[in-house]
Amino acid sequence: MTILVIAEHDHGALKGATLNTVAAAQKIGGEIHVLVAGHNAEGAAKAAAQIAGVAKVLSAEGSQLGEFLAENVAALVVSLAKSYSHILAPATSNGKDVTPRIAALLDVQQISEIIAVDAPDTFVRPIYAGNALATVKSKDAIKVITVRTTGFDAVASTGGNAAVEKTAAPADSGLSSFVSREVSRSERPELTAAKIVVSGGRGMGSGENFKLLEPLADKLHAAMGASRAAVDAGFVPNDWQVGQTGKIVAPELYVAIGISGAIQHLAGMKDSRVIVAINKDEEAPIFQVADYGIVGDLFKVVPELVEELKRQG
Amino acid sequence: MSAYTAPLKDMRFVLNELAGLAAVARLPGYQDTTPDTADAILEEAAKFATEVLDPLNYSGDQEGSNWNDGSVTTPRGFKEAYKLFCEGGWSALSLDPEWGGQGLPKLLSTPVTEMITSANMSFSLCPMLTQGAIEAMLLSGTAQLKKTFLPKMFDGTWTGTMNLTEPQAGSDLALVRTKAVRTGEHYLISGQKIFITFGEHDMTSNIVHLVLARTPDAPEGVRGISLFIVPKFMVKPDGSPGARNAANCASIEHKLGIHASPTAVMVFENAVGYLVGEENKGLAYMFIMMNAARFGVGLQGVSIAERAFQRALAYARERVQGRDLVEGTKAVPIIRHPDVRRMLMLMKSQTEAARALAYVVAASMDFSLKTTNKEEQKQHQAFVELMIPVVKGWSTETGTEVASLGVQVHGGMGFIEETGAAQHLRDARITTIYEGTTGIQANDLVGRKIAREGGVTIKAWLAVVSAFEKKELAKSQSADIKVIGQRLAAGVQAVSESVDFILATAGKDPNAAFAGAVPFLRLVGIVAGGWQMARAALVSEQKLLDKASDPGFYSAKISTARFYADQLLSQAPGLAATVTSGAASVMALAEDQFLAA
Amino acid sequence: MKVLVSVKRVVDFNVKVRVKADGSGVETANVKMSMNPFDEIALEEAVRLKEAGVATEIVAVSCGVQACQETLRTALAIGADRAILVESGEELQPLAVAKLLKAICQKEAPQLVILGKQAIDDDSNQTGQMLAALLGWSQATFASKVAMEKEKATVTREVDGGLETISIKLPAIVTTDLRLNEPRYVTLPNIMKAKKKPLETLKPETLGVDVCPRLITLKVVEPPKRKAGVKVADARALVEKLRNEAKVI
Repeated sequence: MTILVIAEHDHGALKGATLNTVAAAQKIGGEIHVLVAGHNAEGAAKAAAQIAGVAKVLSAEGSQLGEFLAENVAALVVSLAKSYSHILAPATSNGKDVTPRIAALLDVQQISEIIAVDAPDTFVRPIYAGNALATVKSKDAIKVITVRTTGFDAVASTGGNAAVEKTAAPADSGLSSFVSREVSRSERPELTAAKIVVSGGRGMGSGENFKLLEPLADKLHAAMGASRAAVDAGFVPNDWQVGQTGKIVAPELYVAIGISGAIQHLAGMKDSRVIVAINKDEEAPIFQVADYGIVGDLFKVVPELVEELKRQG
Repeated sequence: MSAYTAPLKDMRFVLNELAGLAAVARLPGYQDTTPDTADAILEEAAKFATEVLDPLNYSGDQEGSNWNDGSVTTPRGFKEAYKLFCEGGWSALSLDPEWGGQGLPKLLSTPVTEMITSANMSFSLCPMLTQGAIEAMLLSGTAQLKKTFLPKMFDGTWTGTMNLTEPQAGSDLALVRTKAVRTGEHYLISGQKIFITFGEHDMTSNIVHLVLARTPDAPEGVRGISLFIVPKFMVKPDGSPGARNAANCASIEHKLGIHASPTAVMVFENAVGYLVGEENKGLAYMFIMMNAARFGVGLQGVSIAERAFQRALAYARERVQGRDLVEGTKAVPIIRHPDVRRMLMLMKSQTEAARALAYVVAASMDFSLKTTNKEEQKQHQAFVELMIPVVKGWSTETGTEVASLGVQVHGGMGFIEETGAAQHLRDARITTIYEGTTGIQANDLVGRKIAREGGVTIKAWLAVVSAFEKKELAKSQSADIKVIGQRLAAGVQAVSESVDFILATAGKDPNAAFAGAVPFLRLVGIVAGGWQMARAALVSEQKLLDKASDPGFYSAKISTARFYADQLLSQAPGLAATVTSGAASVMALAEDQFLAA
Repeated sequence: MKVLVSVKRVVDFNVKVRVKADGSGVETANVKMSMNPFDEIALEEAVRLKEAGVATEIVAVSCGVQACQETLRTALAIGADRAILVESGEELQPLAVAKLLKAICQKEAPQLVILGKQAIDDDSNQTGQMLAALLGWSQATFASKVAMEKEKATVTREVDGGLETISIKLPAIVTTDLRLNEPRYVTLPNIMKAKKKPLETLKPETLGVDVCPRLITLKVVEPPKRKAGVKVADARALVEKLRNEAKVI
């Protein structure tokens, strides 16, 4: 069994998602090759060669691969596919764009966003927005897979010493062309759509003190919210309110700071995947729903948290 | 805050199994009402109600409509929602296709209206009143008036209002004093009207007021009242709004509930008005429309009950408090506690019973309008006339009771506005009052609908219920349905005794007959609802035997009907006792004996 | 220009799905079914193209059981001109659907096919890309903006970390992301009109497509329940937990 991992990179450097995908490949077992398809992507190829457990790096170079257009990348991978039992890509927007195209050209039913490997042909993947987990077995000769990176701990980015082998890339398909890219605006995401929400309560003490939460929200790319108590006290505007009569949110991570956890507030955030509470009152009801709690003075803990996020990168 | 979810399963069950949608769809003009179309309409209405109207219900209540110098601003989002409502074509669901309506049966517009009202009762009042005004104009407006106003009212471009009440003329419209003086082709209207729902607002470019007024030479009392159209803006020859008419909103009321719905005080100062129909026949026209209006308010009772039930249920499933009586140790969601269950079942069973009765009456309204069979027409008309005060009076009293239980389920949080439970109770509270109080409905039932015709219709109905119980229910193998049958039989007996009492006393001792009118109305409502629940249970038993899909729904239906029989139908004999022997004590005190000390 | 839109009938997004006790799948009997929300966005985009005079005809296609007719009726009420149901009782996986759609595209020759980026039941996110591959057409996935020109389209895509704009040659496949548009509400008159629009039913066999599933679902389980909360000592411990245990940052 030989597994091809399609690397996620920005030509110069490798992206972390590649390491998680290699980890998934290791779970399947077999020799692991990493494909770095790009333009002037020697940097990324070199980095791929360092990944622990990688046997070979395939480097495909060409201006037609500069923007990862699905038509061109798929044609390249299909040209290599016959040597492999598995083709894996991270479930990033690039991976999700190109992988089904590869699968269809190989007449394979892709397996999307696996979070666990049960056997070389059997995988676990979330369905219904994660409300159920399906274990599926593939009957296809080649398994084409995207990997949800959070399902696999990254392998070490160093320790390997794979050979880098050049491979030819098919010519530009001429079907599509890159026009422009706009990197995300730094402004905060909308409260109900944010993946992370940082909320403050009456414990913030004043509207001025809410500024303390800004670096934390910046660092986490989080939206900012508040409890009704904080809104009623005039600390922040009404449209920040999370709760029964405010916005109902269910982010991946909800950080409740200086919020006691009145039932009306819990109604607005209890479906969040992970809840963190920071409160000086050990008995505050918010700790009953929190996955992680810190009992302490928020004016001390929050700046520490920001520092720690910076430190741990 | 839990969102409104349209009870589509129960609605479909009632439409198809109890109210006979298929039979209604065979009536001339209703052929388009195929099951898949009905389904599509219900689904889209549900979506609209949940996504557009429900989110504005609480904020609308908190903000309320606001008056400033004659103008009224509706709460945030109402104007946009109203526009979407009109664009969706919901404003003319069951109205005449000739003027742009969809011409769908009442049986189908009824669940749609229920959903819209459940999601946002304040909002629903605007189209409801517009529809009333449209019906009045269709009934007796001249071709010119119809042409000028109806197309714009059908598509919701303009809304309509009903101006009946004056400070001294509430339930008794004989006391109306607003003047109408003929000058050439039109009349000049002067006077003050109160309680005018959506009498002024910012959602449309014009408002068409229908106003009851007296001409100078009109006879006294109810036979001297005429009906006029008074637009807020005069209509230019090209159909667009022109000069401002002297019909102004002097203020809006501060009310217990339905805060988003502006209740206007209207002042007419020589406002231009156009006569609808003939002079002095205004009240007669109002009476023709009364059934539709009272039915509509009765349906509000169902709507609010449903919404209050859903909110209480969501809370009861979430709120963790107290230990399970059997299992002990850990605190559990309060839905595990028997008394909370009892309250939820009271809410659920009465809501379903009231819904079933309302839809069955809606189907009869369709038959009475469209059937070509004279005998059938007469029977349905009589049944509708009999049941209108019941649907209006009983469903709204039930809705209020259910909304109050909803607060109770929430415990202390129910008394806090934030949970939304209190709003439903406050909103529900008007339904037993406007469009004729429960007392007036009960008097209508006892006086016009029973005493005046010697009880013919109600006896015919009782015979139907009795035959159903003896011939169909009795055949059931279900222990639950057997008990339901016994309770229903006792209910029929209770109504029957009460009817005999009313017929015997109404002529010679009207105080005795009318003192028990409201308990009697409740009795008839409970038995009529029990009749529908029994029918539902029987259908469900058959569905279970046939191995139909969704057995959970049908077994729940049978259990709910059984609960209703045990908790509600069981009250029937007691209510009969109140009706037949409670009158004397009602009237026993001399007026000054009410005064303390 | 003819636009083809594929629509899938899925468990309504408001329904909290329950895993069957025997682990064979999730409970779909007697639950509310609706059009896949991303497909609704796809259809809305097509209708807007027609209203803008770019599209001349919209064909809605659904592959699945007979009840998908309801979803197609909704599509017709939203604004599709006609509908095609490819009726099959088989579990249709994305590759099979892509093959069915390919066969239909060869018959209908649309210039643009718009699909939802994924269905909210199996969350595969494959069909559009697969269809593009099978037809040898260009693709623009996760679209948040589509501008049509004569021979090409300029599409802005939602990608990790921002937006990317690409130009694609027609005929092409576009898959929709959430922000592309806000679908309209179906109007009552259009529901009535939809009854009279044509709805054709085909079978996979007539299209010559083998729809046998390639993936076998061995079991479906509920995700692990949330663990009881813990108190952590300080910010350092918290960040460590969030990163390595909860994996949310």
